Amino acid sequence: MLKFILRRLLLIIPMALVVVTLTWGLIRAAPGTFYDSEKPLPIAIRANIEKKYGLDKPWYQQYWMMLSNVAQGDFGDSLKYQGQSVNEIIKRHLPYSATIGIIAYLLALALGLSAGIIAALKQNSLFDYGAMAVAMLGLSVPNFVFGPILVLIFALGLYVVPPARWGGVSSIILPVITLAAIYAAYIARLTRAGMLEVLRSDYIRTARAKGLDEKTVLLKHALRGGIIPVVSFTGPALAALLAGTVVVERIFSIPGLGKIFIEAVLNRDEPLVLGIVAFLSILVMVFNLLVDISYGFLDPRIRYE
Amino acid sequence: MAGLDRDRIIATLLVLSLSGIVAGCAASASGKYFGLTTPPSENVLRYISGAEPESLDPALPNGQPEARILMALYDGLIEYHPATMESIPGIAESWEVGEGGTEYIFRLRKNAKFSNGEPITAKDFVYTFRRGFKPELASRNASLGYYIKYSEAYNSGHAFVKGTDGKFLLKKDFVDSIVNEAESKALPLAGDSEFHKFLDEPERLTIPTVETDKVKLLDSDPKLKAAVEGKELVPVKAEDIGVEAVDDYTFRIKLYQPAPYFVGLLGHQFFRVVPSSVIEKFGDRWSRPENIVTSGAFKVLAHRPYDELIVVKDPNNWDAANVKLDRIEFYPLDEQTTMLNLYKAGRVDGIYNHTVPGPWFDQIREYKDEYLLHPENATEFYVINVKKAPMDKQKVREAMAIAIDRDAWVKLKKIYKPLVDIIPFGIFPKYEEAREKVYSEELKKQGSSLDEWKARKFNAEKGRKLLTEAGFPVQQSGSGWICPTFPVDDVSILYNTTESNKATAEFIQAQWKQNLGVTIPLKSMEQRTLLPMVNKVEYQGFTRRGWVGDYMDPFTFLYLYYSPQNASATGWWDPKFDRMIDEANSTVDEQLRFEKLARAELYLNQQQVIVPLGVPGTSWMKKPYVKGLYPNPGTLHAWKFVYIERDPAKWDKDVDNILVDKDPVVENQLKVIMASQEEFIKTHQAVKTAAAE
Repeated sequence: MLKFILRRLLLIIPMALVVVTLTWGLIRAAPGTFYDSEKPLPIAIRANIEKKYGLDKPWYQQYWMMLSNVAQGDFGDSLKYQGQSVNEIIKRHLPYSATIGIIAYLLALALGLSAGIIAALKQNSLFDYGAMAVAMLGLSVPNFVFGPILVLIFALGLYVVPPARWGGVSSIILPVITLAAIYAAYIARLTRAGMLEVLRSDYIRTARAKGLDEKTVLLKHALRGGIIPVVSFTGPALAALLAGTVVVERIFSIPGLGKIFIEAVLNRDEPLVLGIVAFLSILVMVFNLLVDISYGFLDPRIRYE
Repeated sequence: MAGLDRDRIIATLLVLSLSGIVAGCAASASGKYFGLTTPPSENVLRYISGAEPESLDPALPNGQPEARILMALYDGLIEYHPATMESIPGIAESWEVGEGGTEYIFRLRKNAKFSNGEPITAKDFVYTFRRGFKPELASRNASLGYYIKYSEAYNSGHAFVKGTDGKFLLKKDFVDSIVNEAESKALPLAGDSEFHKFLDEPERLTIPTVETDKVKLLDSDPKLKAAVEGKELVPVKAEDIGVEAVDDYTFRIKLYQPAPYFVGLLGHQFFRVVPSSVIEKFGDRWSRPENIVTSGAFKVLAHRPYDELIVVKDPNNWDAANVKLDRIEFYPLDEQTTMLNLYKAGRVDGIYNHTVPGPWFDQIREYKDEYLLHPENATEFYVINVKKAPMDKQKVREAMAIAIDRDAWVKLKKIYKPLVDIIPFGIFPKYEEAREKVYSEELKKQGSSLDEWKARKFNAEKGRKLLTEAGFPVQQSGSGWICPTFPVDDVSILYNTTESNKATAEFIQAQWKQNLGVTIPLKSMEQRTLLPMVNKVEYQGFTRRGWVGDYMDPFTFLYLYYSPQNASATGWWDPKFDRMIDEANSTVDEQLRFEKLARAELYLNQQQVIVPLGVPGTSWMKKPYVKGLYPNPGTLHAWKFVYIERDPAKWDKDVDNILVDKDPVVENQLKVIMASQEEFIKTHQAVKTAAAE
């Protein structure tokens, strides 16, 4: 088990470097620079800027400089936001995204799991149909529609919560609900499907045949197997949520990582894009590892050598 | 039972929320104001400022959102008048211009201080200016100040050429110039110094020090090459540029040629004073919230990027007694719907320019006490790559330009007025007067008239005639027109992905199809991809451009086409035009200068290197209780004039007249500030008259 974890952790390093290299190449291949604006610059000023940022050196030198800095965990300063390091920008904006992401995911888990389990237990009941209909709705209404509807009702109609911006508990209610809706719907459907499959499996029949009471059968045996799809979903989903969700952060003007990332790409802010991509890729790899480890606890059939 | 309760709660919630929607709609349809109008309980302005500022170092950012914020944090020699944007005294109490128009002397007030309490002297301005042009700082704003003697040479890493006899090569021996340096006389009041003498000497020649650039220049000019051969190159240093602290409170600027609008330029953030001690100590980290020291009416309290920048009144500021707000909260936000939501919910008091989305316009326009639609110091036009056929033919360009129905376009765009010239109208009344006069005369000479000129805003018939004359005959085909020989594949309309630019591109395509029978292909591109293509003139045909004036002088628009390396993005350059501009700018008499500029503009207009479309209006909102915040032509706000009015009877009404209806509070404040310069002019005149007698 320990060997498995170590091996996977070590793999993260070369993979992150590959991701960084590919991203660097992609940004370089994209036309446009961070300093171009509608006001064309005199040649001398362009030359000053290129010299300041080492862009006048050959590409392999620039690549090598970038790689050796990144290998030490230093992404340098943002090109757009002068005097701010990439590491500090990520550190500063991660908590906004993480707060909203984690709360939204917990809410989605609570709603989705309970709705999914009950729906599976009472298959084909009114509750089942109702819950699944709502879930279908949640999945098919995009958050850029759902969010503004919430704003229209609660922020501009009733004036009970702010329509946007960060600040206090009341300001995160709408973004959290908007974000949670789609995940809750997805989790509900995954849970229901997973539970239904498990409830029909041989080992549940065995458990019942052993004479175990229904509660133990459900919580100890069925649930552990039934939520495996949810767990596999949770890894990448949580990584994505932590890293920020572009649409919700834009609608509600939350200074999260997702918003910063998009702006960085649009601004051709190379160090910032590299930093966020590297951070994201590591995050996804770590969460996938955690998911793989948790399988071992949930499913007795899986063992790590 | 529990189920029933839950059902009841859900039902209640549903009803509540539905009634909320209804109430919300009703409020917006019939209310006098757009949403809530409760003034903030504290003396604070909450303002949506646009994109997150790149930096709080005033030398670096060149965008409008930053310009507004930096105006709160830094003071310069002059300040912009809150309503007209004319120059009013800032840290300089008064100023005067030398006779030749190349020397400026500013007298600084003695009580100006940085936010850390250190006094601001002329030395700080010398430091600020020198730093701005430092090549290592790589400021994108530097070219704004290139009129300052040797600043361009220093910024570009050039060197003087020194002979073995110790004499330097002079520019006039190698470059044609209409500026007669003997004419410009030094101001007698300023005292003299070695440096002053050096600045008054004829301008020295400078050449690049970078080997490749130097070789290229010398190879292109054998006379220069022979002259430079064997001579010593002396790099231009910061200390060589034309700024001088005559004493602690007298600051002198020397230009290499007259630039009558120069004082107005000094309100730009690039020229606002920065603290040398802090910058030398912290380097590029100096403008971070924990280190920053400022010189303006407000100082930084907290900065949470992408969330808020909070500035508070600085008690050390020389004018602190007249600063009315205790605090400004800048919210960096650029989602238009989100900002209007915040505005409606009463969580912000004002939003920055061009923020009302097109589809909302008709509804928002009804809020007469809040929506500000006023002339703007800007133009919208299409540029043409004049180097590529068939657009290299002037007649083709004229045909295309005249075949667009600008009145119809204006209806589509809502906030524009049609324009056929390069310089907008409604901004420079004196210039417009001169322009009418010059155009009437010149056009008459050419056998045309001013009316015919103005009719260029749309004339399909003439367009077809011009295109036919250019060698692309337009023929009638059914109810429409066709022009089979026009090479449509060599031309395109390039635009960035913004919805409003797309609408304009499609409109123009339809106009040309309908009126000339040519269907020009559309090409859309993401902004960052498009920019270098346009700036390097690598596109074909047309692309959309907007230009916001940098200062309050018509030259800010003509400047785009001036000099061989001009920023017009058209590939056009004409020495005749440059000469006309030089002659105009070295004219001291304002009216005469405007007439000469108008002649240059007419010449440029007739080359038709761009397709003018319209003059945009400002388009933003503020709550009626926010006073002293004006839609001036650059929407740049001198924040110390802004205040919160708690008495609804004194709130702004019908803001279409906000620039005409004078606010006594602001007027009084202005009177006090402007007194020093007026006093100076008066005594100066008296001295002059006495001397003459």
